[in-house]
Amino acid sequence: MKIAISSDGPNLNATVGDKFGTSQYLLIVDLESGEFEAVPNPGASGQRGAGMQAVVLAISKDIKTVLTGYCSPTAYNQLKANGIEVLTGLSGAVEEVVEKYKKGELKAGMRAGTEPKSRRIKVDKSALVQATRSSARQFTILLPTLLGVVLLIGLFNAFVSKDFLVSIFSGNVALDTLWGACFGSILAGNPINSYVIGGELLKYDISLFAVTAFILTWVTVGLVQLPAEIAALGRRFALLRNGLSFILSIPIAIITVLILNLIGS
Amino acid sequence: MILFPAAMVVIYGVLFVMMPDKTSLALKSSSNIFLNMLMPLGLVFVLMILLNLLLKPTQIVRLLGKGAGIKGILLPAAAGIVSMGPIYVWYPLLRDLREKGAGNSPIGIFLYNRAVKPFLLPVMIAYFGWEYVGILTALTVLGSIAIGYSLSKLME
Repeated sequence: MKIAISSDGPNLNATVGDKFGTSQYLLIVDLESGEFEAVPNPGASGQRGAGMQAVVLAISKDIKTVLTGYCSPTAYNQLKANGIEVLTGLSGAVEEVVEKYKKGELKAGMRAGTEPKSRRIKVDKSALVQATRSSARQFTILLPTLLGVVLLIGLFNAFVSKDFLVSIFSGNVALDTLWGACFGSILAGNPINSYVIGGELLKYDISLFAVTAFILTWVTVGLVQLPAEIAALGRRFALLRNGLSFILSIPIAIITVLILNLIGS
Repeated sequence: MILFPAAMVVIYGVLFVMMPDKTSLALKSSSNIFLNMLMPLGLVFVLMILLNLLLKPTQIVRLLGKGAGIKGILLPAAAGIVSMGPIYVWYPLLRDLREKGAGNSPIGIFLYNRAVKPFLLPVMIAYFGWEYVGILTALTVLGSIAIGYSLSKLME
């Protein structure tokens, strides 16, 4: 009988991979002979459908049980449908987890024991590398748009007169806050862009009320992503949530600035 | 994603031919803004690594499904605060969670709290000061509870 364990490395000393679909390797262990094979996980790139590639591999290798940290519901259902047992919530060294499985000590959702201290340092290092990689990826996704926004603000500063903005933002607190909320609702993206734009708007003497409403609705209301939210969570929920968030942004903006003025900043 | 910055570069190119003086001014203004952001951005990167190290998306999603009462507020709020990445990444996970029985209130609370981003605080504080950031953050978390409560009532 063969079992598959998601793993961070190609040998039994490696740690159990966090996710079945995207761990670096799948270690296939033959429980009768004790032999094992390390197969690079076809879904390790983390692209769309990664989980399904790992499922196909498990089926083709005639696996009876999958041991892993986490398995997506889709992959889980597919494995189950193909008669493969799935045990999740596992961590620690692959070797130990396999032993525990052999002894019948594992149940779904149960954590396998902790690893020896010497191994823990190794795990932390690889986790740090992994976290740095993820952060670098997230950062490189964030950076181009941020640069674009900065370039746009530069143009704005050089070409748009202050009078133009003043003509939109009248100085009326309620109206300006409403305008700020409207702009923030239309635009969307990483919140960092809203801080940069908001910070620059302040330099044009746009009120902090308007800028605060703008920052809030930038994240909490999203006309651009409304179709995606409707598709995921339903029309009624999406419209209500966006509507309520829009309305709420105005009192929150006003109260924030009032408190700030009260404490004298 | 790359389209927007690329378009900006093209616009700069065209404008530079037409109005070199003003475009240089724009470029100077942009580089000033960017230079001022370098330090906060460095901090953002470090905080991102820490959050990635400590939390996995699946753990965050699990926070949403658990707990009633005060826990049903605090856990999704915490999940929203520590969640990273663009919102459309989270929609499939939220849908999945709802199919497993998560209520409208925690999903609403989660989505509203995405406005609070600890790893971006250095940039926010650099622009607006920590008092402002503190007040707005507290009010956003409180506001999310109102959103969650209203959604659960209105969706009945």
